[in-house]
Amino acid sequence: MNSSNERGTIKVEVQKYQYENSIDVTLKNLHFDIKKGEFVGLMGRTGAGKTTTLMLLNGLIPNFFEGNFDGTVISNSMNTQRYRVQTLSRFVGLVMQDPETQIFGITVEKDVAFGPSNLAIEKSRISEIINESLNVVGLNGYKNRISTELSGGEKQRLTIAGVLAMEPEILVLDEPTSELDPEGRREIYKLLKILVKEKNVTVIISGHDSEEMLEFTDRIIVLDKGTIVWNGIPQSLFNDKELAEKYGIMPTGNNSNDLEQINRINEEKLNAEGTLKEKKIMIEARNLSFEYENGRKALKDINLKIFEKEFVSLIGKNGAGKTTFSKQINGLLKPKSGTILINGVDIKNNSTAELSKEIGYVFQNPDHQIFSATVYDEVEYGLKNLKLTEDEREERVKNALEFVGLSNQNKRHPFTLGKGERQKLAVASILAMKPKILVIDEPTTGQDWDGTKRMMELMKKLNSEGTTLITITHNLKLALEYSDRIIKFSDGKVESDFSNIKAI
Amino acid sequence: MLIEYYPQGSFIHRLDVRTKTLGFFVFTTASFCFENPLINLLILILLWFMLSTMNSPMSKVYGIIKSLLPIFIIMLVITGFTYPASKFTNEENRKILFYLLPDYGLPMTTGGLYYGLTLVLRIFVMVLASSIITFSTSIEDILQFLKKVKMPHQMAFVIATGIRFIPTMQAKSEMIREAQMARGAEFDKGGIVKKIKSYIPVLIPMIVDSLRMSDNLAIAMLNRGFGSMKTTTNLTEIEMKSIDYIISVITLTILAIVLYAKSKNIGAL
Repeated sequence: MNSSNERGTIKVEVQKYQYENSIDVTLKNLHFDIKKGEFVGLMGRTGAGKTTTLMLLNGLIPNFFEGNFDGTVISNSMNTQRYRVQTLSRFVGLVMQDPETQIFGITVEKDVAFGPSNLAIEKSRISEIINESLNVVGLNGYKNRISTELSGGEKQRLTIAGVLAMEPEILVLDEPTSELDPEGRREIYKLLKILVKEKNVTVIISGHDSEEMLEFTDRIIVLDKGTIVWNGIPQSLFNDKELAEKYGIMPTGNNSNDLEQINRINEEKLNAEGTLKEKKIMIEARNLSFEYENGRKALKDINLKIFEKEFVSLIGKNGAGKTTFSKQINGLLKPKSGTILINGVDIKNNSTAELSKEIGYVFQNPDHQIFSATVYDEVEYGLKNLKLTEDEREERVKNALEFVGLSNQNKRHPFTLGKGERQKLAVASILAMKPKILVIDEPTTGQDWDGTKRMMELMKKLNSEGTTLITITHNLKLALEYSDRIIKFSDGKVESDFSNIKAI
Repeated sequence: MLIEYYPQGSFIHRLDVRTKTLGFFVFTTASFCFENPLINLLILILLWFMLSTMNSPMSKVYGIIKSLLPIFIIMLVITGFTYPASKFTNEENRKILFYLLPDYGLPMTTGGLYYGLTLVLRIFVMVLASSIITFSTSIEDILQFLKKVKMPHQMAFVIATGIRFIPTMQAKSEMIREAQMARGAEFDKGGIVKKIKSYIPVLIPMIVDSLRMSDNLAIAMLNRGFGSMKTTTNLTEIEMKSIDYIISVITLTILAIVLYAKSKNIGAL
C-alpha cells in the first residue's frame, strides 16, 4: 500500500513553483513525506520559501495563488489540485502568522464557531467543539470575551482554537510564535505536543525558535533558496553549530537564558555602579506611575536612572510595562504621577514632536511608518519636520542610509524591500534626526538569525559612536551578548536591574 | 451606531428584534401623523420612559441631541416665518405674533412656531426610538433579522466582519500616528490644507496595511472553510416568544388608533 494514501500523511513532489508576477522561482525540487502523528519543524532564512511550502499543504498553492506550478501534493490522501481549499480545510488546518486577520468573531465563542458553522455542522455539536477547542488551547472561561480585547498571546491561541474546531487531521502553523514572549512561545509548543500525543494529529510548524524546535519536534526540515538542504532529527542539526549557522539558524545552548546566572552577575553589580556614578544622567524617572484609560496600572512607582552612552535592554513578559515606560521617554504617554527628566529637564510640557530632536523611537513594525514613494524621501520626512535646509537634509539622509547599508537603494520603492531592509530603513529615518537617545522596540521580532545579528551589530555600532541606546527585547541571550545593562520589568515595576559584566 | 449595544437584561432587551423594529415603525409613524407638538411630546415622554428602564447610557443620547441643537433652532425660526397664517385651519394658530420686516413683511405665526416645534420633536423621537433598538439589540440579532428578510449570507458576513475590525483599525491608526509623532509629525496644526497634508503619513500606511490585511483575510476565510457548503449553521436563532406577540398586537392596535385619529383630523394644526 502506498503510504501517501493514508490519512494524516503528506507527500510533496514539487519540481517548481513560481508566483505570478515574480521574477524568481520560489520553490524548486522540493520532495518530502510526513507521517501521521509526526511533529515536524520547518526552518530556514526569511525568504527561503517556508510560507510558500506550507501553503502547498492545504492547496492555497496552486488553487488560490495560481502561479507557475509543476508537481503534486497529496495531503491526507487527497491530491490538493483536485479539491477546493475550503474542502481541504476540513482535513488540513492552516494557522497563519498574523492572528489579527484570522479572527472573525466579535466574541471568542463566535470566532471558534466560524469554521464549524461554515461546514454546516449540527448546532449542538458546535457548542461541544467550542468547549473542546478552547480547552485544548487553555482559553476555557473566555467564551464571551470580546476578541479584540485579548492579549497577543491569547489571540494567537484563539486562532489555533479556531482551526482546531474544524477537527483537522493535519495541523499546519506558519510562525505562530513570532509575536510572543518566551513563556507564551513554550506554551504553544507544549500544546502542540499534547495534540500530537493524545489525538495523533500531524503537526508541521515553521519558525525561528531553535530552543523549542530542539525540545519538542520529532524532525526538522531546513529550507534554503526554495529547496530542502537538511532533513533529520533536531539533535543532529543543533549539535553541529557550524551547520546551523550555515543555514541561518540561531544556535541553541550556552543556556545563558536562566536567570540564576544573571542574578549571580547581579551580585557584582555594586562594583560596576562605581564607574556609572561619574557618568552623566540622560534619563531619570522619579516615582513614575502610569495608568491607562481602562484603569490598568501599567507602571507603578518607577525610579530609574539611565546614563549617557549606555546600551540598555528592557526585558520582561508581554504587558510588564516595557513599552509603556519607553513611551514616557519621548512623551507619547505622560506620567500619571511622578516625573521623567531628560538631561535633567522635566519633559511634562514637551510634545513628542519637540522631543523627537533629542529622542528617537523606532517602532516594532516598520510598515506602520513607511509612507513615501522612495527610500530617500522616507528618511527625509523627519528632517523636514525639523525644518532643516535642503543641503543639510541631503547630507544627513546620505549618512543615515550609508550607516544602515542602504545607500545604493535610495531610489527604490520602500515596499519592494524585504522585511529586514524595511526595518533598517525605519532605523535610518530616525538616525538621520541625530537623536542623543534612541529607543528601539523589539528590533529582531520576526527576523531570522542573520537579520537579527545584523540588527544587533548595527545597534552596537551606534552605541559605540555615542548614542544612548534602549532596546526592548524578549531575547535574553541577545541582551546579554550586546547590552551593558539589563532591566527586567514585571507587573509594572522594575524587578531587577543589573550591569552586564560581560559586555563592559 | 450598530456597535453601541449595551447588554443589560431589561424587558426591552429580551424582546425579539422584530418586535422592536415594529415598535420603532409605529412610534415614528405616529409622530409623523400628528402635527400637534403636544401629542409628539407625549410620544417622546413615552419613549424616554422606555429608554430609562433599559439602564442605558443616557449621556450618549444627550450627546447626539446636543450636536443637533443648532439645527433645531434653525428649524424653529425657518418654519415660524415661512408658514403663512392661511395654512392653518385652527383660528388660534392663525394668530400673527410679530413681523420681522416693516410693512407686514415676514410674519411669525403661532402655528408656524408650533409646527417647527413638531419637526424638532420628530427628530427627538427618531433619535430615541433608534437608540432603544441599538442599545438593546446585539449585532448578531440584527444580522439574523436581515437574513430573515432574505439578505444573502455573504452580505451579512461582510457587515459582521466590518464591525469586528473597527477596533482593530482604530488601534492601527493610533500606532501609526505614534510612529509618525516620534519622527516630529504634528497633527491638527495650521490651516485646513496643512492639517489634511499632515495626515498623509498616517493615511498611506493605513491603506497599505488594509490591503495586506484584506488579502490575508481572504486566505484565512478559505482556511476556515468559508463557502465549502451550500448552507451554514445558524448559531443564534431569533425567536418570537408569546410576550413578543402580545407586544406586537398592542403596538399594532396603537397604529390603528393613530391612523383612525389621523383620518378624523385629530392632531392637525
